[in-house]
Amino acid sequence: MRSETGFDPALYDRFPTKEPRPEGEEEELRRIWCKPKGWEYLTVVNNNYVGIYYLGTAFLFFLMAGVLALLMRAQLAAPMLEILPQATYNQVFTMHGTVMMFLFAVPAVEAAGVLLLPQMLAARDLPFPRLSAYAFWAYAVGGLCFFASIFVGLAPDGGWFMYPPLTSKAYSPGINTDFWLLGIGFIEISAIAGAIEIIVGVLRTRAPGMSLDKMPIFAWAMLVFAVMIVIAFPSIILGTLLLEIERAFNWPFFDAARGGDPLLWQHLFWFFGHPEVYIIFLPAAGMMSMIVATVAKTELVGYRLIVLAMLATGFISFGVWAHHMFTTGMPPMTTGFFSAASMAVSLPAGLQVFSWIATLAIGQRSFNAPGLFVVGSIVIFVTGGLTGVMVAMVPFDWQAHDSYFIVAHLHYVLIGGMVFPLFAAFYYWMPMVSRRALSERLAKWVFALMFAGMNIAFLPMHLAGLQGMPRRVYTYLPGQGFELPNLVSTIGAFMLGLGVLLFLIDLARNFRLAPGGGNAGNVYDGATLEWLPSELYSARSIPVVRSREPLRDDPRLAGDVAKGRHFLPGSATGHRETIVTSPLLAEPQYLQIMPGPSAWPFAAAVFTAGFFLALTVQAYSFAWVSAILAVVSILRWLWETDRPVRDEEVDIGAGIMVPTYVTGPASHGWWTMVILLVVMAMIFIMALFSLAFLASNQPAFWAPPPSMAAGLPIYFLYGAAFLAALAARPLLKRDARWPVGLFFASAFAAGSALWLDWTGWSAAGLAPQASGQGAVIAALQALQAFAVGTGLLMAAYCAARVARGLMTQPRSNTVDLAMLFLCYTAAQGLTGALFGRAIGMT
Amino acid sequence: MRTWAILLGGLLVWAGHFFALYGIGEFAGESAASRGAVLLLTASGLAADAVLAWRLLPLSRAGEFMRWRARVALGGLALSALAIVWQALPALIG
Repeated sequence: MRSETGFDPALYDRFPTKEPRPEGEEEELRRIWCKPKGWEYLTVVNNNYVGIYYLGTAFLFFLMAGVLALLMRAQLAAPMLEILPQATYNQVFTMHGTVMMFLFAVPAVEAAGVLLLPQMLAARDLPFPRLSAYAFWAYAVGGLCFFASIFVGLAPDGGWFMYPPLTSKAYSPGINTDFWLLGIGFIEISAIAGAIEIIVGVLRTRAPGMSLDKMPIFAWAMLVFAVMIVIAFPSIILGTLLLEIERAFNWPFFDAARGGDPLLWQHLFWFFGHPEVYIIFLPAAGMMSMIVATVAKTELVGYRLIVLAMLATGFISFGVWAHHMFTTGMPPMTTGFFSAASMAVSLPAGLQVFSWIATLAIGQRSFNAPGLFVVGSIVIFVTGGLTGVMVAMVPFDWQAHDSYFIVAHLHYVLIGGMVFPLFAAFYYWMPMVSRRALSERLAKWVFALMFAGMNIAFLPMHLAGLQGMPRRVYTYLPGQGFELPNLVSTIGAFMLGLGVLLFLIDLARNFRLAPGGGNAGNVYDGATLEWLPSELYSARSIPVVRSREPLRDDPRLAGDVAKGRHFLPGSATGHRETIVTSPLLAEPQYLQIMPGPSAWPFAAAVFTAGFFLALTVQAYSFAWVSAILAVVSILRWLWETDRPVRDEEVDIGAGIMVPTYVTGPASHGWWTMVILLVVMAMIFIMALFSLAFLASNQPAFWAPPPSMAAGLPIYFLYGAAFLAALAARPLLKRDARWPVGLFFASAFAAGSALWLDWTGWSAAGLAPQASGQGAVIAALQALQAFAVGTGLLMAAYCAARVARGLMTQPRSNTVDLAMLFLCYTAAQGLTGALFGRAIGMT
Repeated sequence: MRTWAILLGGLLVWAGHFFALYGIGEFAGESAASRGAVLLLTASGLAADAVLAWRLLPLSRAGEFMRWRARVALGGLALSALAIVWQALPALIG
């Protein structure tokens, strides 16, 4: 493949350019990408700030969840202690797990992506900076309010995986469970927003020439990570939605006495929950691969195999969810499949570990701070991986399930697979964002305390578990042999805490934020693009990439880039902008004009969090007001985008001209909508799975569905809705009012089909409170109603833009995206109508 | 899309095989017919991997990127074949 887009690769030979750059070019870049002042720190969207905010907040949650862990260890240091009452202990262990998994681990790696990826890919910023800001603020505001529930005794107390029937209204009547179910709603939204940003950013904003085989391994890891979020998170979104609806409206999704099934929750939760482990591990593995090569001063061994391993992990990790359910009485054949897949997933993980070991073995190892944490991580992660293979074996799992052996295993995997790599990354990349690097001398103490503390804390838990100590107990009786391992674990946990405290002291002494330049620089001699001299606009010019380690292979590159001798040395349009490149070979395609700072993403995030939190405390009026304000804020933020551009083509360096406005499948907006629709489709598919699961497991409660033939008008209306939306795009060039009319027609046709569908089910005698079947059918209709409502809103938004003369012609991204959404809505409705009738037909 | 299909071909075959096996185990139950279906699916999965490998071999490898793509794809196919056999074994020998 010589070219992917028709771009002539010989044009790369024009760089570095030789001509002197015009005066004032760099100053203009500084003016456009200026530092915030005062309250502008709240409305800032630049990845240098949002990334730091994000990472700092995630680390704050790590510390708070860590304090909860120390409280638990203090309570368990000796038998029959009364430091924490039983009910409080339940809240503490639930919050510890929830905060670590939802508020620390995923956001921390997402934050690392937001901070590092633009620099690593030599983009000016990620393609949707306002989306990054929205994702951060929704997470920060909502997360802090969620955490505060523990101070008023309202924190969730059903364990981080919230199994019903324990969490059903009958056994958990308070609002503690609702805090969990609704409280993580905004975190799910935030994670998905971040994932969309990362996928489009990695695939479309790489430096010219950075083909997939030259992409930094961290970018590969973040790409797989983000795709996994898009596939996995919809399952937990649906699960939390269904459980909250069951609690609020008595729809029996998980009530076995009325045709629901509590095991359905476990399937929905673990289809998210196990990939979640790899979602956390993969970016950390990406960091490890970057750091290992630098500390060993050599090229990473097996780059190709690591990419393959990451892709394979992304796939196989979706085949292991039920290994958390071996003791629930699943069919033996199914159990066997999951056991085999659970062992198979160790193969790609092992490939990565062997690659790191080989890189360290052939290189010149230096045990500096990142090097120490890398080696510590390998040791701990391999230990956790081995016990993982043990619990993948069904007979062993039956013995160890719900014991402290599992607690030990999961902490070895998560601390070795994520926490230690993250600390390695802190030390490694700190000089990129701070004026001073962290102390190497203190780092050795931090590492020693954390490594020793971690092993002293968690190794004895294997023994306690094998001796029969169950997890989630707030105390234990003396004389069962649990005293010594628990006392040792507590000592180790406090050592680990001391290590983290020392790290905080080091941070306080040396961390001095330098987002606008003046950072400590490339102290570890990294070879990738994030170590180019940078300011708030990232590197002065965007380099042509000719190898995987460009700074090592071309020692003059940094100087040339800083002198503006590569792509986009100044601003071509006077706005914030970056080059959008093709997904495979990263050939320049067009110039994206990026939105600047705005208060609307912040407002939208605050109201989104407000909506979920108000629902939790049953302040319904406030919740709906918040929801409306959140939607208004989002529309207002979008209103400023997709405007007509003055220059159709601009010079991005060395006389290479690219367009400034692109529509259709080549545009980054199209990609974003497609990913969003994949999220919606996954939620819908999981709802269809729920219907099939209940039909298979609760046949006694199944009522005959309406006939297929009776659904003909519904299928026709959905077909019409699809065609009407599809026709909007070509008709835009005739008159901007055509698409608006067609969008309204499409939404009304889909709404009418939905109404007919629902009346058909009602006539068949199905009610959502009566049975699991009725509840899931009603949930499917509710999902469809949400899509139709959103489609109507999009039609109204397009109408408003046409009325204000803001619709570009003959092509418009706004019309493209509304068209995609409404086509999807019609397809989803048709699928639901057919599937609901097909399941349980006699 | 073609490059992604080549890169992920083996892994997509694995995913199809796994979820089909899960469907049999969960919804069809355990019987001689189910085991027969597992055997058939496994043979089909391996055949699909073999066909993909066969089609991959004559593809152009001119250029660094094309060579890289072919090698990752072949690795994925090998991994897929191994995992398909491995995950079918519980049903076939159990």
